[in-house]
Amino acid sequence: MSQPKHSLDQIQRWMFHAIVHPAGVNAGIESPESQSQIPVTPQTVEAVVSRSKALTSIERLNIYSNAYLARLTECLQAEYPALVHALGKELFDQFAIGYLQKYPSTSYTLSDLGKDFPKYLQETRPDSETSDAQIDWPDFLIDLAILERNYCEIFDGPGSENQAILQPDDFVTLSPNAWANSRLISVPCLRVLQLRFPVHEYASAVRRGEEPPVPNADPTFLAVTRRQYVVRRETLSKTQFQLLNEIINGSTIGAAIKSVAGQTEMGLDHLAQSLRHWFRIWCQAGYFQSIEPI
Amino acid sequence: MMGFVGVLLFHQSLKTVIPMAESRLGHPHLGLGVGLRSAHYSHILEHQPDVDWFEIISENYMDSGGRPRYVLEQIANRYPIVMHGVSLSIGSTDPLNIDYLDKLKALANVVNARWISDHVCWTGVAGRNGHDLLPIPLNEESLQHTVRRINIVQDHLERPLVLENPSSYVTFADSTMEEWEFISHMADETNCGLLLDVNNVYVSSVNHDFDAEHYIRSIPWDRVVQFHLAGHTNCRTHLIDTHDGEVIDPVWQLYRLAHELTGGVSTLLEWDASIPPFPVLHAEVLKAQKYIDGSQSVDSAAVPESNEPSPNSEAVPHPAVYVSVEAE
Repeated sequence: MSQPKHSLDQIQRWMFHAIVHPAGVNAGIESPESQSQIPVTPQTVEAVVSRSKALTSIERLNIYSNAYLARLTECLQAEYPALVHALGKELFDQFAIGYLQKYPSTSYTLSDLGKDFPKYLQETRPDSETSDAQIDWPDFLIDLAILERNYCEIFDGPGSENQAILQPDDFVTLSPNAWANSRLISVPCLRVLQLRFPVHEYASAVRRGEEPPVPNADPTFLAVTRRQYVVRRETLSKTQFQLLNEIINGSTIGAAIKSVAGQTEMGLDHLAQSLRHWFRIWCQAGYFQSIEPI
Repeated sequence: MMGFVGVLLFHQSLKTVIPMAESRLGHPHLGLGVGLRSAHYSHILEHQPDVDWFEIISENYMDSGGRPRYVLEQIANRYPIVMHGVSLSIGSTDPLNIDYLDKLKALANVVNARWISDHVCWTGVAGRNGHDLLPIPLNEESLQHTVRRINIVQDHLERPLVLENPSSYVTFADSTMEEWEFISHMADETNCGLLLDVNNVYVSSVNHDFDAEHYIRSIPWDRVVQFHLAGHTNCRTHLIDTHDGEVIDPVWQLYRLAHELTGGVSTLLEWDASIPPFPVLHAEVLKAQKYIDGSQSVDSAAVPESNEPSPNSEAVPHPAVYVSVEAE
């Protein structure tokens, strides 16, 4: 029995770099990463991969190479359907291929595949280093990606479907002082987003099979959560966003209100009158699982 | 002294006298099942179809806190569940992922998985995952490497692992044995079970110019716990394991042979692209019963390998398993 010329580790590292190269198998074989493992050329590759009766070694490796990008871009398309609609499939795939080069999968699950896609779009945004860059088309795409990634994580992350949810009547008995010194514990699936475009409406229209136009820039604040295993989003005012954001990040109710009062453009009387109504709506929407005095 | 041929004959005779209770590593014969896919969640929950069992893609549920996990737990209350993974990477030279194994074990306990399976393959190296089932060079080094890792995994999971022959598109100059030899040695040395994917045998036999029937006759039948069936795509010069259509007649004929040799084991149909309505999927796996009974032969009802296959540059081997989000 002849001894193998190459170790298992050499073959795996060589083959992996050969098949994931964005320019194809020939470029992959000639890449430094593959050459450092097994220094064959496309002409001498049969020293590693045998040919079949019908296909050359390169043609056989091409099956894996083609599948790598096709499979993973297909998964990204499924995770970002509205972004695919906005960009068109061909352009989306170009972004996806670039993304897979910079952020290749290191996880056992495809659920993690697209987690850095919004960051990649931000990093590759044209004129991203210009401080006074106008809000325009790239920002719309970035916001859309942020929204869809959040949808993905909220859809399959921890939720509150089988847990008790705080009801509006649960805190009416609290004294104003106890109320101010308590923390509202949000459900694990609740997130608030600050966006530059109303991308939620665009994304919903795409999911309904419509052909929505790209919306004009308009500061958008959202609460995104999950009820009955379906992702839901509700629009917030800027002040509501700031208040919920403080609460989610662990501020007491009193500290959150104080912080918001110092920032809001609402009159303080109007704010004070609105608070009770907001907290009632948010409880009814299932945003909180408990209230904890400190 | 018993010669080589004598040893082979002795081994074959052992196979014929092993009582059925010891076959399949003692696992039950679950009948005819299908792969659980998210496209069918609502149908299954609403209609509770008369399916014998479901196989799940382990990675789609082990981290899930949402609807996939909720649906699975409901289905597991009614149907037997088998867990089938695509990321164990048993043949990789990267370290085994213990966190992954812990999650696999935890999920198996929750859904009362009848067994846990994965593939004889590697999916990545140097910390990267290609999410493909890549073939292993078949030689003594890779065999011992794989055996060591199977033993670690089985100790960790506290149960035998069941491993599937993958479909593949390359072979290696450094291979010194055939796939059926590798798998037989692997199973003998680890006492693991085998998931015989009959379609994969057929696909690889065309791609690698070997006799599919010889492959199936050469594996240790008593270790086969489960069969897989699926459709594939004919690209003229090779076949691709696309899981996107009906099982073709040559694969059914191999299935009939495998059934005869093993005495019958749990059979599962995979369908991962161009997924049809659930009744179509179910009807496809129920065809197996006719082959088991011997009433189905090559006739007008059978689906032949296409006589005029066309190149399909879009054909992508499985697994491309992603659960789509449900949002407003």
